[in-house]
Parts: sequence; structure tokens; C-alpha cells
Amino acid sequence: MQDIGYLLTAILAMGAITFALRALPFLSARLLRRSPVVQHLGRFLPLAIMTLLLVHSATGSAREHANGPWPELLAIAVTALLQWRSRNPLLSIVGGTALYVLMRNWH
Amino acid sequence: MSTQQHVSDADSASLSLFSLTAPVAMGYIPLGMVFGFLFVQAGASWVMALAASLIIYAGAAQYMMVPMLAAGMPVSAIALATLLVNLRHVFYGLSLLDTFPRGRLLRWYTAFALTDETYSVLTTLPRGTPPQRMALLALLNQAWWVSGTLLGAIIGAQAQVPLDGLDFVLSSLFAVLTVEQWRARSSPLPLWTAIVAYAVASVLVPQHALVLAIVLSISVGVLSYKREA
Repeated sequence: MQDIGYLLTAILAMGAITFALRALPFLSARLLRRSPVVQHLGRFLPLAIMTLLLVHSATGSAREHANGPWPELLAIAVTALLQWRSRNPLLSIVGGTALYVLMRNWH
Repeated sequence: MSTQQHVSDADSASLSLFSLTAPVAMGYIPLGMVFGFLFVQAGASWVMALAASLIIYAGAAQYMMVPMLAAGMPVSAIALATLLVNLRHVFYGLSLLDTFPRGRLLRWYTAFALTDETYSVLTTLPRGTPPQRMALLALLNQAWWVSGTLLGAIIGAQAQVPLDGLDFVLSSLFAVLTVEQWRARSSPLPLWTAIVAYAVASVLVPQHALVLAIVLSISVGVLSYKREA
């Protein structure tokens, strides 16, 4: 983490990719909008990918310690419930993460 | 008289701009702080934390990169992960095409700054909102994120905090985004597809479960379209 060249290369690459994804519709709008498959994927993929990322990162955490996956499942359930009821991302993220940190450090 | 009128209009406009971004600020400042804190705790300097929030400006990708960079993973792997995490952003611009600022600089900056939260605020603006206001709103949101990052980085530089599990903040963020995508769903199929695809992929290729699961999910997405039509 002390290697400035490595960090900057990674940051610039991530920035370029993120910008390209966000700007793509403005470059190829007609192509994307004319294609019904793209429209369908636009409804299908965001929920699928977000679920995958959630499962992937939580199973990653669960493999780091002996009590997995119970703390992960409980913390995700609490986060999701908080978000479902409150629609307040800060409350949900802080609540879920705090509960998880508690479970991991005091047992 | 007309100047007076003009001034008070501008005042109320900037006031409502602040009230529009206030809920985003409530999230971006503390969540930006968490990023700055974690990144500096992992060994990066505050300048790098600042650079990340200025250049990348994508919360989930920035949380994700902390353990990857700390482990010294290749830039290509980090780039691929960024592509996956931010793929959903392609579909944000599509729904904003007609209302987006036309001017070059404003248009590209607003596209650059199209995060989940900025997207959701922009979709609530009335039709005919001046493009400068849209760009300013996007800029204000990034200012909240960058300020939070800086604050967190400064705090993180003071002392080492030996708490296990703080990086779970990324999972919590994904859980929040999943709930919001679920709320907006047109069908529950994508969620079940993802869970089954991940289970299958982690049995077949445990090392590359995520990539295979994404390929499987996209295939199901395409196939489910054909069935509909």
C-alpha cells in the first residue's frame, strides 16, 4: 500500500472503467435503446448482479472465521430489514455493520 | 424590482438544491468517512484516499478495492471487479437520456458523477430542470463524498483500530442496493437466478465462482427474454 505507482494505476483504471460504464448510454444511446434484449437485460441484470455481489462478499467474510456463516446471515437480515422499513441507507449500513463487528469481536 | 425578483429566485433555487442533496449528504459524509478510514488503516496515505474519491467516485467499488489493494492483487483483477460492480450504471443513463444536460462539459461531468444516489435524485427532478442545476446537484453530491473521505482519512491516520469485520460495510452496502433493486423489480427471477447460479458456480469452479455466476445469470437473462417474446 506504500507503492504510489501501483495505487495510482489501480485508481486510474477503476476511474476510467466506471466513467466508461456511466457514459456508454450517451455514446450509443440509439443502439442500446432500439434493442429490446438490452432493455430486458436492463431490468434483469441489476438485481441479479447485486444479489451475486452480496452473496459473494458475505461468503468471503464467512470463510475468514470459525462461526460463519451465522453472523453474516444475521447481519444481512438486519441490514435488509432496516432498509426495507426505513429506506435510509446510512441507518441500514451502520446498523448492520455495527452488529456484525460486535458479533465478531465479543463472543 | 426585476433584479430583486431574480436574486430571490436564485436564492430559493440554491436553497432547494441543498435540501435535495441533504439526504445524500447524510449518507455520503459518514460512508465517505468509512472509506477514507478503512483505506488509510490498510496503509494508504490520505492523498490516495482523496484521489480515489475524486477520480473513481463509486462507493461500492472503492470499498471493494481496499482489501484487494492491501493484498497486492493485479490491477487487471481489480479492473475486472470494478467492471462487474459498476455494470448496473450502464442502465442508469438510459433512462435519463432526454433530460440530461446538452453542453459538453456539463454532460460529461454529470455522466461521470452518476452514482446510485445522484441517479435517484435526478430522476425525481421535474421535467425542464435547467441542466446547470442537474450538474450542480451532481457536483454537490461528490463534494459530500470527498469531504467525508478526507475526514475519515484524517481520523484513520491517527491510530490503528484492531476491530475485526469492519470491512463487512461492503456487504451491508450490497444488501442495501439489493433491497432497493428488489423494491423496483418487475420479476423475482433475477434474485433466484443469482443465488442458484452462485451455488452452482462455487461447486464447479470455487476460485472463479463470481465470474461464472455472472456469465450464467446473463445467459438466463437473455433466455428469459426469448421466452417472453
